[in-house]
Amino acid sequence: MLIELKNITKKFDKQTAVKDLNMKIEKGSITMFIGPSGCGKTTTLKMINRLIEPTSGDILIHGKSVVDMEAVKLRRSIGYVIQEIGLFPHFSVYENIAVVPRLLNWEEKRIKERVDELLHLVTLDPSYAQKYPMQLSGGEQQRVGLARALAADPEILLMDEPFGAIDPINRLKLHDSFLEIQEEIKKTIIFVTHDINEAIKLGDKIAIMNKGTLVQYDETDEILHNPKNEFVENLLGRDRSLKALSLEKTKGFVTHEGYVITGPNDDQGSLREKMKKTRSEQAFILDENGRLLGRKILVTKKTGKQEMIQDSNPVVVDRNNNLVEALSKMLESGEHQLPVVSGRGKFMGVINLSHIFAEVTAAEAKNTIKGA
Amino acid sequence: MAKILTYFLQNQARILTSTWEHFYLFAVSTFLSVVIGIFTGIFVTGEGRERIGRILLTITGAAQAVPSMAVVALVFIFVGIGFAPAVIALVIYSLVPIIFNTTSGLLSISPKLIEAAKGTGLTNLQILWRIKLPIAVPVIMAGIRSAATINIGTATVAAVIGGGGLGDLIYTGLKLQRTEIIIIGTFLAAFIAILVDILIAQAEKVITPKGLKISR
Ligand SMILES: Nc1ncnc2c1ncn2[C@@H]1O[C@H](COP(=O)(O)OP(=O)(O)OP(=O)(O)O)[C@@H](O)[C@H]1O
Ligand SMILES: [Mg+2]
Repeated sequence: MLIELKNITKKFDKQTAVKDLNMKIEKGSITMFIGPSGCGKTTTLKMINRLIEPTSGDILIHGKSVVDMEAVKLRRSIGYVIQEIGLFPHFSVYENIAVVPRLLNWEEKRIKERVDELLHLVTLDPSYAQKYPMQLSGGEQQRVGLARALAADPEILLMDEPFGAIDPINRLKLHDSFLEIQEEIKKTIIFVTHDINEAIKLGDKIAIMNKGTLVQYDETDEILHNPKNEFVENLLGRDRSLKALSLEKTKGFVTHEGYVITGPNDDQGSLREKMKKTRSEQAFILDENGRLLGRKILVTKKTGKQEMIQDSNPVVVDRNNNLVEALSKMLESGEHQLPVVSGRGKFMGVINLSHIFAEVTAAEAKNTIKGA
Repeated sequence: MAKILTYFLQNQARILTSTWEHFYLFAVSTFLSVVIGIFTGIFVTGEGRERIGRILLTITGAAQAVPSMAVVALVFIFVGIGFAPAVIALVIYSLVPIIFNTTSGLLSISPKLIEAAKGTGLTNLQILWRIKLPIAVPVIMAGIRSAATINIGTATVAAVIGGGGLGDLIYTGLKLQRTEIIIIGTFLAAFIAILVDILIAQAEKVITPKGLKISR
């Protein structure tokens, strides 16, 4: 157990913000805090890095009480990301990321290497190092914020609505790269959100709070299938079997059949033969590193003649997209088979509409059997 | 014109002394008010004291409307005559814009940003030096600039309570009804004022962090 909250209570004047909270958080997992505004999520988060001191109770990290640690040192060992303007406007991206390493007196050479590494991790071009926060988009700023929090390789990451101010489309992209990054770094992340879909998509576990108390704290699919009470049910909304679909990531449904792979300069004639033989409608064009460059589609004309069309900007599904997202991309583009790529654009295979439908049917069955 | 030149050539020593006195009075009082003003601004905006800061902001905001002559007169009544009273008058008067700007500059920094700095593991002192002050620099410098301009102007007035300087020269000219002396005194006072303004504007450019100069 990495983090343990024991009978935590926080009172501001007479008002109780957090009431007798008990929970254990495992190493390497993402825990999502969700609940109505003012229910005490931020307060709970800030008690972990001692921006707020609890009125009573204890918080343990690795079995050691945080009160026994020096507050400043504790904070340097925990990454902290907040909504919007968390970046220092007078520091360049480089200097922002370097804040904690400099506090820890790292050598400049080591800092530089670390900044490069982190920019790569959050998929920003190295040239961004010399830019200033005001020159970045909201999404880019959040990426830098994440890089800064990760700079000294902390074991724990606290994130308070980090994507709250980002528009829905870019938020989806940030989710995908966030999951991709977490696969690499395996941090213990505590993440506050207002958005139930975000909680379901990102969380290994979800902690639902209301009026300062913990209502339910469970694995995400446990919460979806067995909401403890009406409050949780209302929070989840009515389309629970569809929401359950969003628990499944695209990468679990990738298949490697029904398409052909080709290089950018391969011969047209033999490609056509190959597609006919495998009954494939699409051929995906990959570069030597396996990155998706485009696709070729075999279209049958009214005259019965077949023609090859090149599409250099195909709709793609990120392997961390959940099935709801993959499904909506299919509906939007009118395709029943879409290519799946990794965060860095590497081709992984395809996902088929029929497989998603099979999963919907299975989920429906599961919910009916359990009976609400 | 010829008169001006003659007077200038015949009284070089006196003019030089007056100019030096004038500059000295200006420099000492501006230095003191910058130090006292910035320190006060930092103190009243420290954690938990933001309310005091806001009150002081209202007071100094209103105080900017008090005429300089009134301050000089009050100091004369309570402290008397001489170089020191002149410095006191100038410091009191020019403190107002420095305290006002330092306080408003520091208070306008988003509490979220300061919380981010704290959460990242900076100590209060590091937050002050590395985050708050650099971000507030443009506003603080604007305060220093108007304090300096005020001091150069008021330094002339301070001659009435024995501050010396170019004010002395001008009053002599007035008493003797000699226009050329008045012109020389006024010209030199204006010259120093412009010079100081240019220097401070230059300093402002140099110490304003690059990231704050970028606008979308
Ligand atoms: N510094 C403070 N002083 C007094 N009351 C506070 C303070 N901070 C928070 N509170 C109160 O404590 C309660 C919980 O606040 P908290 O910020 O933890 O809510 P939250 O769940 O993060 O809400 P939101 O979703 O709106 O961010 C609220 O009622 C809030 O008004
Ligand atoms: Mg909050």
